[in-house]
This record gives sequence, structure tokens and C-alpha cells, in this order.
Amino acid sequence: MNARRTMPPLALTMGEPAGIGGEIALMAWRSRADAVPPFFLIDDPDRIETLAELTGLDARVERIAEPEDAAAVFPRALPVLPERLPAAVDPGRPSAANAPAVIRAIDRAAGFARSGRAGAMVTNPIHKTTLYDAGFEHPGHTEYLAALAGLDAPSVMMLACDELRVVPVTVHLSLRAAIEALDADAIVHCGRVTAAALKADFGIERPRLAVAGLNPHAGEDGHMGREEIDIVAPAIARLREEGIAVSGPAPADTLFHAAARAGYDAVLCMYHDQALIPLKTIDFAGGVNVTLGLPFVRTSPDHGTAFAIAGTGTASPESLIAALRMADRMARCRAGAATKGRAVA
Amino acid sequence: MKPVVGVLLGDPNGVGPELAAKLLAAAGTRAEARVLAIGDLGVFRAGAAVAGVEIPLNVIEDAAAANFDPAVLDFLSVPTIAPEEVTPGRAGAAAGRSVYETVKVAVALAKAGEIDGFCFAPMNKGALKAGGSPHGDEHILFAELLGYDGPYCEHNVLGDLWTTRATSHIPLKDVAENITTGRVLEMTRLAHRTLSGAGYGSPRIAVCALNPHGGDGGLFGREEIDVIAPAVEAAQAEGIAAQGPFPADTVFLKARDGAYDAVVTMYHDQGQIAMKLMGFGSGVTVSGGLPVPIATPASGTAFDIVGKGVASAEGMRQAFLLVCRMAGTKKARDAAAQ
Repeated sequence: MNARRTMPPLALTMGEPAGIGGEIALMAWRSRADAVPPFFLIDDPDRIETLAELTGLDARVERIAEPEDAAAVFPRALPVLPERLPAAVDPGRPSAANAPAVIRAIDRAAGFARSGRAGAMVTNPIHKTTLYDAGFEHPGHTEYLAALAGLDAPSVMMLACDELRVVPVTVHLSLRAAIEALDADAIVHCGRVTAAALKADFGIERPRLAVAGLNPHAGEDGHMGREEIDIVAPAIARLREEGIAVSGPAPADTLFHAAARAGYDAVLCMYHDQALIPLKTIDFAGGVNVTLGLPFVRTSPDHGTAFAIAGTGTASPESLIAALRMADRMARCRAGAATKGRAVA
Repeated sequence: MKPVVGVLLGDPNGVGPELAAKLLAAAGTRAEARVLAIGDLGVFRAGAAVAGVEIPLNVIEDAAAANFDPAVLDFLSVPTIAPEEVTPGRAGAAAGRSVYETVKVAVALAKAGEIDGFCFAPMNKGALKAGGSPHGDEHILFAELLGYDGPYCEHNVLGDLWTTRATSHIPLKDVAENITTGRVLEMTRLAHRTLSGAGYGSPRIAVCALNPHGGDGGLFGREEIDVIAPAVEAAQAEGIAAQGPFPADTVFLKARDGAYDAVVTMYHDQGQIAMKLMGFGSGVTVSGGLPVPIATPASGTAFDIVGKGVASAEGMRQAFLLVCRMAGTKKARDAAAQ
């Protein structure tokens, strides 16, 4: 009942320090009266103080020793759990020397979220090539966190705003490669993980999934492509056998307007832009990236490091705030479900 | 002098006749152009009854008899279907033949210069083919009837945002190999030509990327670098205000907010997902490239709501206004050239 009191603050990673992560964290803290859940930032407190001055963002910064100190500090200052950066931060110019600290911030946030010392983890955007240069071997956050959590199946990426949740079955591949990579197993895996997450993290008792077709008009009975018949429909049949409510394959161009959205809780999309075009068209700035299938809750803003405007204080914190709110709601939902489960057991 | 714009009733079994009647009865419609309704009188009267409108008619057998009195609608009677052959809410060959015969009349009038363009209420491609048309795709049919063998395409229009696609009704796996520099350039030129014809001075055209994040510098596909960017550069060299390639997930919002007049997309759903989200009921399809302005609402025959009088005529109105705009621009330019 008193979930708000007992939920520990969220852990927010620094992301690429030369990007906009620090300043949008300061802005999100300044918006704390506007239903932004308590959080602490894992970053270098000195550089955050300098950044607050540089950008003219009127925000107090206070270093904390443990995640448990964050709740008491949050009302008066942005709590920062120190993760020292060896190289000076130059906005817009990432330094490989800071890459190990960027990764450590992710490791620590994941550890806190997993052990329950943080309610969930929220990640600021990283700059992948800088991390690759420093020896990072994972394509991105989603895959790295799956490895950290020791998952034997891939985690699943969901993008969500208030009006729409989409799950791209294939992600960062060329369109050609995405079509080649599409198979029924991948759709079934995404469907299972999504349905389970909608129940556990979003509180939807009987989730309804819609599955988009790949081709125009969903192939029109095979006249414009056979993937619906050969791959998508069999995957839908398998998900239904598992008791999951699934509709489709549906033509993608009529799947996203308001009346259609009332018919499902999430859409499985066959390729990146099939998911991202509707999401960005509906909510350009408020989209949140959610990793499903992890033993803890992780969200992130749906934008990049924005080097071009880093350090100017002009970035919008809207997506980060949406990510913090969504992580908080999901973590409460998951904790509530766990409590209920225990009560029944 | 305002252009003469034909209005066709569409498939008699669908919502077309209701929509045409609503359009023709609306205050203002006949102020935009000299309007000539073309179709089967019985079909029109049935549509007007469903729409609940009464329009004084000047029924004529020859377009030359039109007198364009604003208070009386000139109706060119083309008897094509008997009342008992109309099966509301169901596709049928008789209705398709009615559409086909009417289209032939309208195209002949356009070729003869008796009308300056036309809009048509929704038709059914399957019925059109079953009714004797050599093509179910109306754009191909128009080009053939007009004897036009240049490039043409379908534009989807929403308000002041136009899209043109480099590929259309083909499997997605065939898209990449069909995206060539020549094809993208040709569609960019067509967008430029059609929008210029609709009165846009130097239309601003955004060209979409094919891959996520526009390929991210070649990380997720090279079509942007090898195929699309060269087409954009070639278009620019011809003086076309084209830019791109741009990632497809954000380009439509920028265009809607006024940064571009047209977006050239690489495949069907790339444009249609965004366009249908931004305006499900008011979209228009324009047959671009043809020598005669022709447009239709993006929505279809809506067989499930035929006869209820609830179908929205907004797309029909927008299609009509676009034809008026294109025909008016053409008329003004022709007059200036003389």
C-alpha cells in the first residue's frame, strides 16, 4: 500500500559525459515537483557542479556515499554517487579515457537495481564508438545488460510513450539484413517476453499483442510477399497456443491510428522504422526505451548524446523525465506483483 | 475564368455517390470552379438520398451544354448501370463497369479540353478489373487512356504535405534492389513537377533514407551512400530544392511542421504509416505526372458503412480542392504563355 514510501530511489547512469546526460539530469531534478520520482546520478560530482555553473542551471549538487542516502538528499539537492572521471570533460568531444567510468556507472546501477538498493536503473545515452575504442564488446546497453544479468535468451527492446508501445523484432540492421534475419522464433520470443512484461511491469492482466505484417497491405494473401504466410502467421499461431492474445499479421499503415490502438497493448514490429515512425510521429520527444526480460527494470530516454548542443543547457529533459517516471511505475508494479505473489503463497 | 472540374461518383456499391453528393451540395464547392458532375443519374440520386441533400440539376447529354449557373448543377448523364445491378456494400462487376465507362468519358473530355481535370469518389480496384478495365490500378488506366507514356506516380497528400514513393506494391524484400539512383531521381523530379503544377514555387523536397538511422554512416546499410545521396545531388544539380537522405522516423514531423513540402519515400509503408497517423480521413491521392490533374480521397469504398450517410466527405472535398488548385495553376500558366 505504501509503495511510494518504501520504493528506493532510481539509479541514473552518467552515460557519455561529453553528451547531454549531465545537464538533462540537472533539469530533471529541477522538475522534481512535477511528479519526477526520486533518483540519484552516478557521475563525477565535481564535473556536475561545474556543468551546473556552465549551463546556468540553478541546481544544487550533493555527493552521497551510498544509494540509501539519496532519498533524504533528493528534496534539497541532486544526489550524486561519485564515479570519478580521469579525463576532463569537454562537451561534444568524447574521451576514450573516460570510457571505463561510463561502463562502471552502468555496472553499478545494474547491481543496485538487481539487489534492490535502487528501485530501477535509468541510463543516459552512451556514445558507442567511444566505448568500442576502449574495448567495449557489446552492441549497446540492451545487449550488455542482458550479458550482465546472465540471460541465456536475448532481452527485448520496447519503445513506449503514453499512447503506444512498440517492440521491434529486428533492430539495428539494414533493411535487407532485417528481412533476412526475421524468423518465427524471434517473433515468438519477443511476443513471450513482451506479454510477460506487460503483465508484471505494466499491470495488464491479460495483455493483447498486435503483430504487424512485413509487406505492404500485409502481403495481401501472398501477392506482395510471403513472409506473413510463411513466418508471421505461424509465429502468431505458436503464441496463441501458449495462451497469449495476439492479433495479426496486420497491415502496418492502418495499425497505429487511435481507433486501432484501442485494440492492443503493444505491437510487435518487423523492422526498426516500422516501430519508430509511428512512435515518433505520435510523440516526438516523450518516447522511452525499455529493456524487457531483465531481472530488474531498466529504461532510458529515446535519444542520443546530442554532442552538437552538449554543454549549452538547451537540451530537452522531456524524454529522460518520461523514462524516470516509467521506470518508477514499472518498478512499483513489479514490486506490487511480487508482494501479492508472496501474500498468496 | 475558373477551371472546369469534373466530379465522378466512384463505385456505385460504395460510399462514393454519397460523398460526391455531399461535396456537390456543400456551400462553396461551386465557387471554387465550374463544376461538371459526370455519372449515372440513378446512382447520383441514390447517393443524394443517402446524404440527405437536394441539388437542382441541369441534366445534359453533352458537356458543351453546361451553362455553369451557380444555383443549378450541370450533370452530364452517362447511363452505365441499372438500379437492380447496384448491390450496396458488395463489390460487383456491374459497378466496376460503371466506373470504367465513366472514367473513359471523363478522360475523353479532358483530352478534348472540355474539362481541366477531375476528381473521383472511391472506387474498388477489383471491381474495376472485373468490370472490363484492362487495369485494376486506376493510375495505369488513366495514363493508358490519356495516351501518356512518360513517368507518373501516385502522390499521397495531407494538407500541404505531399509524398511520392520510389517503390509501391512490391514485397519489402524486393525494395532495396528496386531503389536505384535513376528511380529516386525520377521520383524527385516528379514530385518537383507535380508540386510546381499545384502552384508551389521551388517546392522543398525531403528524400527519405532506406535504413534505420539513415544507415548511420554505412553501419546499417549502404544504400544511402551508394544510391540515394547521388540521386539527391543530381536533383540539386538540376535546380530542384531536394535534400536528404533523412532518417524516416523523424522526417514526416519536420515536413508536417513546415520544413518541407514533399517527402520522397523508398517504400509503401514508410510514408503511409506516418500519413495515415497524421490524418486518417482527410488524405488525398493524386495521379502525378499525368497531363491532366486527377485526384481521389485516400479512403476507400467503405463497404461496411454504405447507405448510412455517416461517411466523411472531407477527403472528397480535399481531393476536389486539389484538382481545382492544379487545374487553376495550369490554366493561369497556359494563359500567361499565350
